[in-house]
Amino acid sequence: MALIELRGITKTYYIGDMSVDVLRGVDLTVEPGELLAIMGESGGGKSTLMNIIGFLDSPSGGGYQFEGQDAGHLDDNELAHIRNQKIGFIFQQFNLLPRLNALENVMLPLVYRGVPPQQREKVAKQMLKRVGMADRMAHRPPELSGGQQQRVAIARALSGNPSLILADEPTGALDSQVSQEILDIFLELNRENEITTVMVTHDPKVGKQCRRTVRMTDGHLLEV
Amino acid sequence: MMPFKEIVREALKSQAAAKQRTLLALIGIVIGIGSVIALVTVGEMVQLTSEQQFRQMGTNIITIQRGWGDSQGGGGNQDRQDQMITWEEAKGLAKKFPKLEAVAAYTSTWGQPLFADKSLDMPVLGVTRSFAELNKLTLTKGRFISDLDGYSFFGVLGAGAAAKLAKMGAGDPLGKTVFFKGRGFKIVGVLARAEEGGMRPFEINPGMMIPIHTSFLFKKERVINEIMARLAPGMDRQRLTSGLNKYFKMYQPDMSIQVRSAEQLINEMAKQSRLFTLLLGAIGSISLLVGGIGVMNVMLVAVSERRKEIGVRRALGAMQSDIRAQFLVESVILCLAGGLIGIALGVGAAYVLAKVNGWIFFVSGMGLALGVGVSSAIGVFFGYFPARQASRLNPILALRDE
Repeated sequence: MALIELRGITKTYYIGDMSVDVLRGVDLTVEPGELLAIMGESGGGKSTLMNIIGFLDSPSGGGYQFEGQDAGHLDDNELAHIRNQKIGFIFQQFNLLPRLNALENVMLPLVYRGVPPQQREKVAKQMLKRVGMADRMAHRPPELSGGQQQRVAIARALSGNPSLILADEPTGALDSQVSQEILDIFLELNRENEITTVMVTHDPKVGKQCRRTVRMTDGHLLEV
Repeated sequence: MMPFKEIVREALKSQAAAKQRTLLALIGIVIGIGSVIALVTVGEMVQLTSEQQFRQMGTNIITIQRGWGDSQGGGGNQDRQDQMITWEEAKGLAKKFPKLEAVAAYTSTWGQPLFADKSLDMPVLGVTRSFAELNKLTLTKGRFISDLDGYSFFGVLGAGAAAKLAKMGAGDPLGKTVFFKGRGFKIVGVLARAEEGGMRPFEINPGMMIPIHTSFLFKKERVINEIMARLAPGMDRQRLTSGLNKYFKMYQPDMSIQVRSAEQLINEMAKQSRLFTLLLGAIGSISLLVGGIGVMNVMLVAVSERRKEIGVRRALGAMQSDIRAQFLVESVILCLAGGLIGIALGVGAAYVLAKVNGWIFFVSGMGLALGVGVSSAIGVFFGYFPARQASRLNPILALRDE
């Protein structure tokens, strides 16, 4: 059973009287354990596709099956629930909450899941250890470097034990050496723990290291 | 759904982070709650204190005065003298109404008595022995006016008057002479300070009391100003009042009298002070409204400053209700903190006012509950709109926010 199955997904935005077709029929199947890079120029619809895959947005048309379940038309609470249970987000700008320390940031998805404090602290500590941040748990994001912040963000995404990691330009804000370190974490997680990862990037070096690459152009998706 | 304890912890952290803005927003709430608490407390203290004063003398005291209201019409000023209660009428009361346990008629004149050739501005009361008993007066020195004093020229000083004299160099006023309307009055007693208020004539403390017969020497007729009396227990006031009216009409057919009882005054005062409390509370509420709008403003700013945070939380699985609860709890905590400071300040202000004015200091549990309740309610009321706005942010747009 495929993890993600998109069939003829369309997305149209309305700006006043104008309508903009951002996605014009996207088909995509992602099997469990895949490491997929979505490449393409900005404005090509990559982010919109990511938002739909990550349940931040609903498609205008087409069918979306996630883990074999129809996921095309969910209400706001159902979307929040499925994001919390199934998706781990990683952003270009890390998006850690600056007032919380690393440990608290990593625990946050579990807070919304209602996991008791002791248990979520245990899980969060494990995840931070896994990304090599065990000695920085009490630090707050402004006290950490970009690479360290992204490591914490990865730990946060992993803490909910998601079916899918969605990374939007995860190395876009980092220099090339740190980028490679972060990418290595993704590769290792995918290889050793078979964590399904979908990554948006426009860096060909990153794309090359992913097992499968697709290209988004003008609302259409092409296998490379 | 996020557990409530977590929401509160998050809210506390957010407030601590925005210290300066939090503090500014608090000022409105602090002032609002503070004034409501102070005003409500002061209202209750005044009520309690005045009730206490009445109770001290007993609630079964009545006063009888000639009526002012309906006697004005035909007569005009020259008839006034005719419509005063006379000494003979007052004297007959005790016999006619055996349920009146003690009766004290008195006269009251303002004058400029002289002491050591200096003029004193003080009231002079013509009294009988029972005046001291009814008003629960105690002496610090000497004796009170006796009914055997007849037309003699003795005087008893109120505590205020004695202090005045002492300031003019009298030292111990006992045995000294005060001149009034050309006659020398020998001071035979000094009263302890009598609490003001209640049914007590206000002239006692600043005044000089002389035998009532002596006071008639300075009047054209033997007329009195007021009669005080104490009722036997279980007396029906309505019947007494109509009986008294009949009694006085026997002597002067045009006469109308006014009977006031302590109980009646207490009830009136309670009603008035309730109204007063309500009015003051309303004024405080206005400051609270202003404070509440301030809080709403702060919360709106917080929401727009934290759009990104909201987006992140939504992406991590927070539902709209989680976000709403988070900002609502922040707003309530903000208002509660302000409310608690306000309560402290209000109680402090009430304490100072009580000490300065000699009121009984008293903080009602209801006032405190009101303060806490009102500040929470303001937090919910003025926090709801910003919280709803936060919860309805589109997570994608919020995430894109820089």
